[in-house]
Amino acid sequence: MLMIPEKMRLTPEKTWLDRAIDLIPWLLAALFGGVALHLLAILLLPHVTPYAAYRRLALQSPVGQLSLLPRPSPETSGPVFSDPFAALALCRFDLAQGPLRLRARGDGDHPVSVSLRLADGTVIYSANDRQAPMGQFNILVVTQDQADALDVASESADPEDADKGADKNSAKDHDDKSQDNKSQGELRLISPGKKGFALVRALSLREGDYDAAAAGAKAECAVEKPAP
Amino acid sequence: MSELRKLPVALIAALALGLAATFLALKGDPGFGAAAFGPWTSRPRLGSADIDPYARAATAVEGAVPLGSGEGLAFVARADDAGAPLDSRCDYIVSGAALPARFWTLTAYDVEGRLRPNPAGRYGLTSAALLRRADGAFSIVAAREARPGNWLPLGSRSRFTLVLRAYEAASSSVGGPFEGLVMPRIARGECS
Repeated sequence: MLMIPEKMRLTPEKTWLDRAIDLIPWLLAALFGGVALHLLAILLLPHVTPYAAYRRLALQSPVGQLSLLPRPSPETSGPVFSDPFAALALCRFDLAQGPLRLRARGDGDHPVSVSLRLADGTVIYSANDRQAPMGQFNILVVTQDQADALDVASESADPEDADKGADKNSAKDHDDKSQDNKSQGELRLISPGKKGFALVRALSLREGDYDAAAAGAKAECAVEKPAP
Repeated sequence: MSELRKLPVALIAALALGLAATFLALKGDPGFGAAAFGPWTSRPRLGSADIDPYARAATAVEGAVPLGSGEGLAFVARADDAGAPLDSRCDYIVSGAALPARFWTLTAYDVEGRLRPNPAGRYGLTSAALLRRADGAFSIVAAREARPGNWLPLGSRSRFTLVLRAYEAASSSVGGPFEGLVMPRIARGECS
């Protein structure tokens, strides 16, 4: 009976070392929590920040409609680090509503380039008019499912396909060629995301040339309706 | 009881740590995939699907629309050849030879990337409108006051940033994007 009170008196007496050891799990928890929060914030920020180009610029314009962005100047609140010599036209896409067709070509004097960006800002495609066939962009932006559906549709639409069923390779070759003829240099782009925007950039070569560059580039974009 | 009291403390510590790390990571230019040429740096991956999550977050928060890597390359300079920060109270001579690009522009921004008002109402120069020597070499003077020849007007804010955009840089064809590239020098002239 006498031993118990003695023990009870001894246990609450912790040294500083014991207290520090007790804190270690908490320190580790705070560290891991902090790292997890940091990584989560980095991954989520492009989707939630109101400053992102998609939110500030693209959401202002309707899906499948080209709109010219204001000319960069100290007065306009466009994207930061805008080139004052580049006229930009924007077309928002939402592939849930259907594939996006984008056509663009320059006037021969002013360089034109095209870029496709996802809602989180990732550039999934960019090229200039010298890389496009005949200097003309003809881009169809689709999801993987829409691309598969288009392939199935073009295969069943080909009347010779049934006859050539025995020789799959030659049927395939034939199919590819006919598709090329039909689509005239169409670039089919499979987008990893459904929402995003396309930018058409026309460059003015010198001061005072901006309006001519903006007017010279011919571009159109539209939501492609699936064939009935 | 004391164990329970440690929980909110640990949560607050985690929150502070996570937010501080995120803030620090997004402040300034993350160094991944950057190529430096004297005072100029270029980060071609910003304009491609290879962009890293940190650069993507920084670009989104900044509100920038980086040049697509198939469109061209952007080079940013925040300091001169000697490493001193660019200051619009000084004149700067930007000089070099022809660049391997179809066309390029040179623009002056404030440090946040905004164009600053200046009496000339011009914010940049293009390679097509440049006065050059017979061998193609050029010299541009960046200054607040008008200068003869190629003048790049600067705004009234003291610190500024130069961005050179090489459109259709020779990247796309052969070799790496920077093969045989010699960027213009940025030399500080007189200061007022």
